[in-house]
Amino acid sequence: MPSVSRSANRFALFGPLLVVGWTAAALADEAPTAGPAAPTAAVDYATEIKPLLAARCVACHGPLRQQQGLRLDSAAAIRRGGESGPAIEPHKPRESLLIRAVTGADGWRMPPEGEPLSADEISRLARWIDAGAPAPHEESTATDPSQHWAFRPPVRPDLSEGSTTSPGRSAVNPIDAFVDATLRQQGLEPYPPASRERLLRRVYLDLIGLPPTRDELLAFLADESPDAYEQVVDRLLADPRHGERWARHFMDIWRYSDWYGYGAELRNSQPHLWRWRDWIVESLNADRGYDRMLIEMLAGDEVAPTDLNVVRATGYLARNWYKFNRNTWLQDTIEHTGKAFLGLTFNCARCHDHKYDPISQENYYQLRAYFEPHEVRVDVAGGQLDTKVDGVARVYDAYADRPTHVFARGDEKEPDNSRVLAPALPSVVAPESIAITAVPLPGAAWYPALASAHGGALLVKAQTERDAVATQLQQRRAELARLQIEIEQQAARLELLDELTEPALDSPTELDRLRLKNARSLVTAVQAALEVDEKQLAVADANLVSLTARLAADQGRYLDPPAANIEDLMRGAANAERAHAVAAAELQRHIAQREHDRLAAKPLADEATKKSLAEAAAKLADADKALEAARAALASTGVNYSSVGSTYPRESTGRRLALARWIADRRNPLTARVLVNHVWLRHFGRPLVSTVFDFGMNGKPPTHPELLDWLAVELMEQGWSIKSLHRMIVLSVAYRRDSAADSLASNLQIDPDNRYLWRANTRRMEAEVVRDSLLYLAGSLELNAGGPEIDQKTADTTSRRSLYYRHANEKRVTFLELFDQAGVGEGYQRTESVVPQQALALLNSEFAHREARLLADRLGAVAAADQRRFIGLAFETVLGRAATDAELATCLEFLTRHFGARSQDVAAAESESDGVGGASAVAAPQTATPENSAGANSPSPDVARARASLVHALFNHNDFLAIR
Amino acid sequence: MKSNSTFSHGAFHPRCTGVSRRTFLADVGMGFTGLALGAMLSRDGVVRADTTQAAQAGQLPTGLPHFAPKAKNVIWLFMVGGTSHVESFDPKPALSQYAGKTIAESPYRDVLESPFLKKNLREFVAGNHKVQPTIFPMQVGYRPRGQCGIEISDWWPHVGGMVDDIAVVRSMWTTDNDHGAQLQFHTGRHALEGQFPTIGSWIHYGLGSLNDDLPQFVVLGTPIADCCGGAGAHGSNYLGPEHQGVQLAVDPKNPLPYALPPRDVSWDEARDKLALVNQLNGLAAIEYPDDAALRARIKSYELAFRMQTAVPEVLNFGDKTASTQSLYGLDRDVTRPFGQQCLAARRLVERGVRFVQLFHGSNGGAGAWDAHGGLKAGHTALCEQVDRPIAALLSDLKRRGMLDETLVVWGSEFGRTPGAQGADGRDHHPYGFSIWLAGAGIRGGVVHGATDELGFHAAENRHYVTDLHATVLDRLGLDPRQLEVPGRKRLEVDFGRPIREVTS
Repeated sequence: MPSVSRSANRFALFGPLLVVGWTAAALADEAPTAGPAAPTAAVDYATEIKPLLAARCVACHGPLRQQQGLRLDSAAAIRRGGESGPAIEPHKPRESLLIRAVTGADGWRMPPEGEPLSADEISRLARWIDAGAPAPHEESTATDPSQHWAFRPPVRPDLSEGSTTSPGRSAVNPIDAFVDATLRQQGLEPYPPASRERLLRRVYLDLIGLPPTRDELLAFLADESPDAYEQVVDRLLADPRHGERWARHFMDIWRYSDWYGYGAELRNSQPHLWRWRDWIVESLNADRGYDRMLIEMLAGDEVAPTDLNVVRATGYLARNWYKFNRNTWLQDTIEHTGKAFLGLTFNCARCHDHKYDPISQENYYQLRAYFEPHEVRVDVAGGQLDTKVDGVARVYDAYADRPTHVFARGDEKEPDNSRVLAPALPSVVAPESIAITAVPLPGAAWYPALASAHGGALLVKAQTERDAVATQLQQRRAELARLQIEIEQQAARLELLDELTEPALDSPTELDRLRLKNARSLVTAVQAALEVDEKQLAVADANLVSLTARLAADQGRYLDPPAANIEDLMRGAANAERAHAVAAAELQRHIAQREHDRLAAKPLADEATKKSLAEAAAKLADADKALEAARAALASTGVNYSSVGSTYPRESTGRRLALARWIADRRNPLTARVLVNHVWLRHFGRPLVSTVFDFGMNGKPPTHPELLDWLAVELMEQGWSIKSLHRMIVLSVAYRRDSAADSLASNLQIDPDNRYLWRANTRRMEAEVVRDSLLYLAGSLELNAGGPEIDQKTADTTSRRSLYYRHANEKRVTFLELFDQAGVGEGYQRTESVVPQQALALLNSEFAHREARLLADRLGAVAAADQRRFIGLAFETVLGRAATDAELATCLEFLTRHFGARSQDVAAAESESDGVGGASAVAAPQTATPENSAGANSPSPDVARARASLVHALFNHNDFLAIR
Repeated sequence: MKSNSTFSHGAFHPRCTGVSRRTFLADVGMGFTGLALGAMLSRDGVVRADTTQAAQAGQLPTGLPHFAPKAKNVIWLFMVGGTSHVESFDPKPALSQYAGKTIAESPYRDVLESPFLKKNLREFVAGNHKVQPTIFPMQVGYRPRGQCGIEISDWWPHVGGMVDDIAVVRSMWTTDNDHGAQLQFHTGRHALEGQFPTIGSWIHYGLGSLNDDLPQFVVLGTPIADCCGGAGAHGSNYLGPEHQGVQLAVDPKNPLPYALPPRDVSWDEARDKLALVNQLNGLAAIEYPDDAALRARIKSYELAFRMQTAVPEVLNFGDKTASTQSLYGLDRDVTRPFGQQCLAARRLVERGVRFVQLFHGSNGGAGAWDAHGGLKAGHTALCEQVDRPIAALLSDLKRRGMLDETLVVWGSEFGRTPGAQGADGRDHHPYGFSIWLAGAGIRGGVVHGATDELGFHAAENRHYVTDLHATVLDRLGLDPRQLEVPGRKRLEVDFGRPIREVTS
């Protein structure tokens, strides 16, 4: 039968992929009604076809891109087809373009990348088409990217009803207006406010990363003024420890890493990156606008080229430096600039167009073009000329003309050299093109020796060297004078003795004469050395003069505008340099002469000595010539001199500044939202947008879109003040809610994850907060700020805040690592793991034992022999709350049982009159009897140890680690 | 009968929300939750395919395998620096035959024209490791071993003796011709792309625990150096730190950080203090009955306390019989260090540790196996250090009936060049090299894949390193595609394909 053979041919055409799976019925009969279809032929569009197309086809044939005018994201669009006609012929799989494309029937195959569709997948498509391509009428299609919420600039939404100021009461915090509206909408009942002690601990840990002291706690509990909490918040925000606390959060997001490599070899990041860390701390404390911070990190060298206090912020970029591969370095820069500031996964578009967002592969390389020219260097700082010892790691534009190409499939070995990409952002981020203006640099920026930090250090060094020579000369002169006096005296004495006719007891011996002779020759030697010193001093003086003159000339030449007397300055510099050259040549000649004379004075006994003498003579002749030349040069009136330092390009491309300005522009739809989300996450333990680095179309929508936008707009209108954002958040009722109360079953039913914030989330302290709090409570924490990173191996034995210890790949503080400290690669959101290694660290470390002893001693001094008072103090100090009756009983029993340390049940009524209230006032449990109380005013070693154990146990209490 | 629904949807209804996977696992034992049941079932191998919606939706793994597993545990032996494949598991007589000639002069000059030379290579530093032109003869003899008669070199006599239980794969390739390949061997990604979760961390992430006293993913031996990936080679990257390998020293006195209390704290004192911690946390648990993290913390303290005894116990072989001691070579200086690690590995998997990663030859740099010169002397010594212990591990597992459910993997980041480097060495060689597997249903006495006559390119049945990962996951009943973490797009190459030819 002809039709059969035709089918067979077609079958062959489709190739082996079709052998499996495709039912024979579908192949054998082209008629629309091919008899009863096998039950297996029923294919559900929604569950079997649409996901397949979405996974493999829609990136290029969908809302983002419509290759060949074709979209495959809805059945209607599939039927409509594109430039080559409909994608399918219902009931005719073999005729359908879609099938021909995925089987490669026409000599090309879709999808062009990745594995071909499997036989099963093709069979599924074919059976669906065969069945007439049934699909629901009401089919949702993907959003047009320009309509995606995060790509539309935030607009301040109207506050919900009842949210405005009403007479007689203060304004409702806008956060609560939005949160409460959602709660009402969802039928959720919010928890009551947290207790005051719980709230205080929460806000302390959130804002400064340290718990309140017991005194602070008591003061707050006693403060009945209506704005007591607000005052605390303002105090904490003004506390310099706030900057340290939040700097660590931003160090996570911005991937802070001290340098690391292989042994002493620098391979990643840069030395002295702590200066960027200090900039973060200081910026946060100064409440520098977030927009300004972004600009300084991305383009501090362009916006304030000569101010190293600003330029150090570019440590953000220097951190990505990577020894072995420039592309890896730029990849990191692009990926994390996208994720950290814009919440976009540009990195997905390195090898191919982004699958979800309107970011083409070309867009990726256009973003790269902003960074293409930049390079890293270390400038002199801190009076230290050796930049290995200290300096500022910063970026500058070194390669203004370096072209950016697309790498085919992301492969650096396959650049598309036919096109050079100019810097640009995808239209979804920046609807209009961003103007780039080159930044002419002042001299001190492209010629860093002119910067006072550098030039000054050079002068100090030259002066120090000169002074050292002068001092040596002085000492030598003194020695010579002393020798001469000695010789004179000795000679006079010998002379006198010689004149005596009668032999005296102390008549001069041959030995005395020999000594005199030696002393005289020593004088000769010292005199010779002194001559060298004098010449050396002349050289050092000339060097100082030369350096000063050359610096002045450099300054005159390169500062803007150049000095009027530049000619004179340059000539002066040239003359001083020539004078220095003469002095140096004189010194060399003098040394050569001496060496020659020394050898010439020797008996020319052997060949070796003769040879040495000949060499010395040749050197002397050379030195003569050099000196002659240097002297001859003195006659020159030329103005050419050697500049003092190395130079860099005089202009920066302005690309990064343009990029930074757009990222920080109020019209940018993403920047403010992304920041608000990060700050929110760190106050509530959960972000508003759960995909914190992906606000794109594959990210998750916000739980409270209006709130997010309101805060984003507010942030920008408050001059991007992060402190204002903190303030608004922690003053909200939502933030102040309790985390645990009588279980509200209905709430749990509706919103078990607390997405809508009907209560506060219990969180765990971050690693740094655990360590810092332990030290702080025990009174050990050193609160001095800033400075070079501290050896991470000393973290258990030293007491600085944790953010100051070295944080690099393989060089991290073990204790912090165990508590989920962010790695150096990426730290957008930390995990809160609970693992036994944490228990071991808190139970077993010398560090925790030591701090527990210190704190126990401190509290013991207050509690004296009163065990119950001690327990109360310990709970209030470590956990920020009173002990419950049961806890008190348990702890008393512990102290009593384990170490024979009987409780001093000093009158129950008087104990804890200043306590946090509640439990401690109740009568002591029976185990604690007043007997054996004599002489217990100074706790015995056993008692002290038991108390230290108790405090140590509280450090291990979940309520210590928990932020409730 | 949908028997798995009993613990997927019935008694156990995971509210994974807001609780990390680890939190969740630590909860095991508080009551007979489904997970505990599941973990117990998987201990007994009674686990069926888990196709819960959560798993399909890419949410947190349930801790159960995706399909019936063949293995419960993995021991992963990694030789740091690049073991010579042509002197170990892939004999190449042509090397001796054409020794001294250049590859271009030999009949096999076409290996220099292979597209793989450029296509698959991604150099860390361009030009550092060019093709070594002059053919270097095999430095050791081979002989057929076992019933199967597979040729194994004379540097591996003991492992050779176990070859009937081993499947050798001679056709591996990787893309880094420098020691970043060590990281790549564990993550599947070139070091220039950064750090990614490692094979051990994926398993930790995907499967529940089989023991209550020990970490699930243990690292023995000195991990690779900073140069080549460092802790990244047993790290977990975006899976989170709780899934990274826990490094144990074979030192009962100090096996891991903070393992034991300071010296001046007595055992009783420590235990009493822990009891107080538990009492106080127990009181808090009454106050906060819904706090999963608190419950997890209580469990973590119990596990920590058990680890304080269990870890030193597992690493203390003092009481092992003399025969076991000598089997692993603990009686000889040369074999003792690695023998101790192999014995520790056996004892760890015996107690249910899922993944034990052993490093041999880490030397603070590229690794001891990196035989740029003195290959014969170097490899002779290194093989002697590991050959007996590894064979002992296999035979010990076998005699205890554990080999059936323990997968043993041997590998190195790459092989070594057919051409000579200097007078007596071989350079790095990513184009073709060998690994082997044993146990857990791996077919024994089998060779799979081949390199060309010079051992240059993997020629038949080529496998990138992630195919090995896929094989390991397959043995454990895990489908890597079901482990993908939302927002962390994995590439096709990351998933690899199980090497079916060596599995039964």
